[in-house]
Amino acid sequence: MSGVAGQTAAKTDGWEPKIVAFCCNWCSYGGADSAGMGRFQQPASARIIRVMCSGRIDPLHVFNAFLEGADAVLVTGCHIGDCHYVNGNDKTKIKYKYLENVAHELGIEKERLQLNWISASEGEKFANFIRDVTAQIKKLGPSPLKPEGVA
Amino acid sequence: MEKGEMYVGWSTKDDVRKRGGSGGLVTSMLAAALEKKLVDAVVVLKKINEFEAVPIITSDINEVLNSAGSLHSVPSHFAKLIANKNLKVALPAKGCDVRGIIEQGKRNAINLENTFIVGLNCGGSMHPVVTREMLEVMYKIKPEDVHGEEIEKGKLIFETKDGKKNAITIDELEEKGYGRRESCRYCTIKIPTNSDIACGNWGVTGDLVGKATFVEINSEKGARLLQNAVDAGYIQIQKPDEKGVAMRAKIKGVMEGLGQKWKEKIFVPMDNRLEYFRKELEHCIDCGACKTVCPTCSCGDVSKCTEYHSRGDAYKMSMYHLVRFLHLGDACIGCGQCSDVCPVDIPLTRLYRRFANPIQQELKYEPGMDMQKPPYFEVKLNE
Repeated sequence: MSGVAGQTAAKTDGWEPKIVAFCCNWCSYGGADSAGMGRFQQPASARIIRVMCSGRIDPLHVFNAFLEGADAVLVTGCHIGDCHYVNGNDKTKIKYKYLENVAHELGIEKERLQLNWISASEGEKFANFIRDVTAQIKKLGPSPLKPEGVA
Repeated sequence: MEKGEMYVGWSTKDDVRKRGGSGGLVTSMLAAALEKKLVDAVVVLKKINEFEAVPIITSDINEVLNSAGSLHSVPSHFAKLIANKNLKVALPAKGCDVRGIIEQGKRNAINLENTFIVGLNCGGSMHPVVTREMLEVMYKIKPEDVHGEEIEKGKLIFETKDGKKNAITIDELEEKGYGRRESCRYCTIKIPTNSDIACGNWGVTGDLVGKATFVEINSEKGARLLQNAVDAGYIQIQKPDEKGVAMRAKIKGVMEGLGQKWKEKIFVPMDNRLEYFRKELEHCIDCGACKTVCPTCSCGDVSKCTEYHSRGDAYKMSMYHLVRFLHLGDACIGCGQCSDVCPVDIPLTRLYRRFANPIQQELKYEPGMDMQKPPYFEVKLNE
C-alpha cells in the first residue's frame, strides 16, 4: 500500500492536468490552429475534441469526460451571432447554463468546467485560455472523479 | 358549467355513496362517463384487501362501481399505466399523477385531448410495504386483521376485524420513519389545479361532512365530465357555501406551508456533495427500475442512460445516474416512485430533487403543471 501512496505523491509533484476541450469546427478549432501557426506558447495539457458545432455538445459528453479522467472540460464555440449554423451557439449558451447548474449541484468546482467563445483568428486568446485554465487546475489538483490508474 | 366554478356533490346511488370515502362522487362520475360513451375505459383501484389495492384499466361499469375508492396506502403511478396505449380514458389522479400525465402528454405518449383527468386532493400517500411493516412494529397488529383505515385530525387510524380502533398521530409515525412517503412530506401540490376537475373532501361543511365531495372545474373537459354525470343521473350537485370555500383555501395553505417546512428540513445545504452522491450511488446494481417507473421518462428501451449499464468500466460514479441527473434536473416532478422501487434502497428521489429544486427555481419552470416546454427547447432565433 505504501508504494501506491508514494506513487500518488510523486505524481502530484510534476503533475500535468488533462484538459478536454470541445472545439467547434468553424471557430475555436480554427483558433487552436492559428495558435499553433502564430507560435503562441501553451502547455500541452489540452486534448481537443472537434465537433461540427458547439450546439452538438450534449451535457453527458462533459460528464463522461470527467468520469474518463479529465481534470477540466472546456466548451468553446463561435462568438454569439457568428454561428456557422445560424443559432447553434445560442442553444449552447442556454444548455451550458443548465449544465453549469447541474455540475455545481454535483459538487464539481467551477474552474473545472468553463465556457469561452473563440473565433478562428483569435489564436492568442486560445493559447492564453489554455494557459490560464492549466494554472487554475494545477492549483486545484487532480479531479476527484478521476478513475484509479489514470494519470 | 364553466371553468373556475365550484360545486359540492355526491352519488345518487346509495351503496356507492355509503361505501365511497366522501359521497362516491368520483366513482359515479367515472361510471357515468363510461356509460354515456364519453370514454372507452377508466382506471380504478381494485381491492386486494382492506387497505391495499392495485390500479386496473377497465370498461366494465360494475367493476368501477365496486372499486376500492380512495386508499392511503397505494402504489402510484398512473401516468405510465396509460402511456402509449392510445386510449380514450378517464382516470382519478393525485397531484403527482396529474403532473406525470401532462409530462407524458408533452412527450407525445398520451393524447391529452382524449384523457379526462379527475384530480384528487392529496395530503400524501404511503408505501404498501412500509405500511405492512408499520402495522406490525407500531400498531402491533397483523396486516391480515385490518378491516379499515382512515385519517382523522392528524391521526392514522386502523380498525381491526374485532372492531378495535388503533390510532397513532402521523407526526409520531413519521418521526420513526413510517407514515407518508418522504416525497409526499415535502410535496407542495395538495390541490391539483392542473387537472381537468379537482375533487376532494376539503371544503365540505355541515351535515355533508364525509358524505359529499368538493369539486372545482379547471377546464372545459372537466365541465363536460361533470355535466355528463349530472345528466346521466349518477350524481347530484349544489353550490358550496362561502365558509366551505374559505376552509378549503385555508387547509390548502396550511398543508403547503407544512410541505415547505419539510423541504427545508430535508434539503439542508451540504459541503462535500460530490462525495455524498458517490457514496449514495455506490450500491447501484444497474437494474434500471428507477427509469422504468419514472413518469417523466418516455425514452423506451433504447435510451441514453441505459447505454451506460454494465460497461465494466472503472468510473468513480455511475454514468447512468449522471445522465438521469441531467435529464431530471428540469423534468423531475418528485413523485417518489424511484425511491419506492429501488432494490438497494438508494434514496433516489432525494438525490434527484437536490438537482431539481434549485434548477427548476432558477429556470422558473415547473414541470407537469401546464404544457409549457423546458426553457432551453424554446430557443427563438430573434432573441
